[in-house]
Amino acid sequence: MNYPVWDVPVIGSGLVIAIIAVIHILISHFAIGGGLFLAMTETKALREGRRDWLDRLRKHSKFFLVLTGVYGAMTGVGIWFSIGLANPEGTSTLIHNFVFAWAAEWVVFLVELSLAAAYYYTWGRIPDKTHEKIGWLYAFTSFLTLFIINGILTFKLTPGPEWLALAGTGREAEAFFQAFFNDGFWPSLGLRSLACVSLAGIWSLVFFSRIDRETDGEVKIQLIRWSAKWLLPAFLLMPFFFAWYLLMVPGEHRDLMTLGMSTIGSGAFTQVTRMALITLMTTATIGLVTYFLAWLNPRDFSFGHGVSLLFLALIATAGAEGTREMLRKPFVVSGYLYSNSNRLADVPRKNAEGYLARSPWNPDRGDRPTVRTGERMFQGQCLSCHTVDGYRSMRKLLHGRDGKAIGNILQMLHENAPDSPYRKFMPPLVGTPAEIEALRQYLDILVNGKLTSPIVDPSAKAVPDSVKVDTLAAPAIDTAKKDSAAPAVRDTSRSTAPAAKDSARI
Amino acid sequence: MPDTDKLPSKVYGWLDERLGLTEIVALAGHKRVPEHKHSFWYYWGGITLFFFIVMCFTGVLLLLYYRPGEEAYESVRMITYEIHFGWLIRSTHSWAANLMVASAFVHMFSTYFMKAYRKPREFLWWSGLGLLSLAMLFGFSGYLLPMDELAFFATKVGLAIPGTIPVVGPWISDLVRGGPEISAYTISRFFALHVVILPALFIPLLMFHLALVQKHGMSIPESEEAKPESERKSIPFFPNFAMKDLAMWLIALNVLALLAAVFPWSLGPAADPLKPAPADIHPEWYFMTSFQILKIFGAWFPGAVGEFLGLASFNLGVVLWAIVPLFDPTSKSGKWGVRATYFGMFMLAAILVTTIWGYAVLPATP
Repeated sequence: MNYPVWDVPVIGSGLVIAIIAVIHILISHFAIGGGLFLAMTETKALREGRRDWLDRLRKHSKFFLVLTGVYGAMTGVGIWFSIGLANPEGTSTLIHNFVFAWAAEWVVFLVELSLAAAYYYTWGRIPDKTHEKIGWLYAFTSFLTLFIINGILTFKLTPGPEWLALAGTGREAEAFFQAFFNDGFWPSLGLRSLACVSLAGIWSLVFFSRIDRETDGEVKIQLIRWSAKWLLPAFLLMPFFFAWYLLMVPGEHRDLMTLGMSTIGSGAFTQVTRMALITLMTTATIGLVTYFLAWLNPRDFSFGHGVSLLFLALIATAGAEGTREMLRKPFVVSGYLYSNSNRLADVPRKNAEGYLARSPWNPDRGDRPTVRTGERMFQGQCLSCHTVDGYRSMRKLLHGRDGKAIGNILQMLHENAPDSPYRKFMPPLVGTPAEIEALRQYLDILVNGKLTSPIVDPSAKAVPDSVKVDTLAAPAIDTAKKDSAAPAVRDTSRSTAPAAKDSARI
Repeated sequence: MPDTDKLPSKVYGWLDERLGLTEIVALAGHKRVPEHKHSFWYYWGGITLFFFIVMCFTGVLLLLYYRPGEEAYESVRMITYEIHFGWLIRSTHSWAANLMVASAFVHMFSTYFMKAYRKPREFLWWSGLGLLSLAMLFGFSGYLLPMDELAFFATKVGLAIPGTIPVVGPWISDLVRGGPEISAYTISRFFALHVVILPALFIPLLMFHLALVQKHGMSIPESEEAKPESERKSIPFFPNFAMKDLAMWLIALNVLALLAAVFPWSLGPAADPLKPAPADIHPEWYFMTSFQILKIFGAWFPGAVGEFLGLASFNLGVVLWAIVPLFDPTSKSGKWGVRATYFGMFMLAAILVTTIWGYAVLPATP
């Protein structure tokens, strides 16, 4: 726990990233596929002498420029902000390994944005052939941005043995190219490229649906059908790339997807399967709507139909990206960094010396652990995926369990045995027995309003012999007697360690 | 006909000769559906039908593993936690049930406010009410079948409602329960009701309802009726309306899949009659109005009087609702038309208020 914790009530920090990211992907993938769409459509229009198309295309490129240049860029920066706050350890790992890739990404991105502006502002002001070339150049640079970010994204699930062998040595950058062109790189690039092309088609359907069918019926039919065709490659090739991608996913992560076929578990266990099902369902619907409403009835294709398609694409994108993220559980970087920012290699050390031993936010430094330590443990190791009362609510998940039952779960999480039902998607709980006991007490009070089972002797190692174990939770119990559960814990923390509390939250 | 040498044309010709497909397509093309600013409400009957079809399909799949009687809970546990995609079929079935009742309510109120119950569509209105009542009975009987804690106690509460009918009430409750308490016999009876008796009543009534829609066509609201014939717009039933209807079905399917996947139906602990009922026990949302009315009257008039008055006022509302085509038979009598509209608004408000009220006063659960 070397960084402050970003505590987002109700939805949790992970969902903040997810919401921004889904909007970003929907726009940024359009920026990539749309570049190809603009260039190809302009080339086709010039070759076939369709001047009426060019006029529509000019308006389309304005919409494209505003949407991708403003909202695409803003949400991209939003992802940076949110991942930096939600998971600084993970972000730091990526920056240290891919600083060169990101520098290249920023350069390419600047070129891409400049070309998008140049493309729109030079319509009719420069020769057609030159304008067409700008379009193709834009398409190329926008694809490059995908190429670069794809290497970084896929690295997290399949970092590869070469990089893992160097991880934590300070020489990780030596395996830059192995990490970048990891096992998941090519199938993922194929999948994303197909998604880009499809989204170009969907956004264009939305835009061209507004052409008046009465006055410009013929051009509407042509452009709607031309846009609808852009979804075809994805429907033909996606199954192939998806199967390839799945083959590249490490076995233990792939198991997460099959787990949800036979059971709902307690819900959270099987999110991957359920999100994959949603993606499948909405993708199939997009295919049907495009065929029946856009291809067969282009003249009647309305703005409402277009927006419905876009909405379906939003759900499909959210499902697909959610599946990809969840597949990586319990890691942020598979085999190296857990989703709660603990490094796999650090687990034995932290178990021996304490999770908070080197943390600047250890409230009980040099003293016996109290419930405040439990709260820090919760903030450091649980809050990255759970909230107190909202998304994956800790109160709901632990409802009906007394202190002893909570202790049993924590012990199971700590031992992380090969047959543990939590092992596949939850990181091990690290810390000394005293710290884990402090967390147990904190959760017991959080869920039940008071301590419901006797204080367990944590271990002679963690608590100095001179300190009696039964004083461990004294401050929290006193407060809990007066107030309800949540304020009890918060009040305790506020009244006894305001500085620590404030500094631990943003 | 297109090129008769091609295989699809040959198949079509073979079928057409025997089934008269061309006539059916011509008939469907001939039939027209009015198009106006209230056309959106025409889709709700079709959406309700769609959810019913989904329920038939998923219900048959559940039948492959469900075992009524003593093993009911264990079989549902197996479906939910062990069988491949058993949870998905069960969740889809349960969500479709709720969505079917909800869309039937929307359909009922939209036809009510568009005055579609008037001459000559009185039997459409009555058969529709019959279908909604049967759908609610489907829901009630299906709710017990998993026999988990919530199902057990909610059914217990639900069966207390007919039990309040004077004289015959307790007898009816005992008959449905198969004894004085909910037991494996109750499950067997509910199961028979759910998969045999109710479908045997529902399907013929549904056919009757659909045949009447075919005979009378879509009704048009008064605002459209006031327009001259030349200003009224309509589209062919086939393919135009059918295509839009299919699009709505597709939306309904996606909503259903989304709900089933994001909020899968869980299974509570096995029912234990010896345990006290959970504090927040309540019937399904579509029975909340009757539940709350009984509670309100029970609080005002303690004892059997309150129960009787609650039941009487609820049934009075239902009867008045059913006979509306009799006191507002045509658009000529403006006075009764306005009264019927006010009555409809009152009923809608009463259902919404009592349902929200019912949920608001439930003890909080974590």
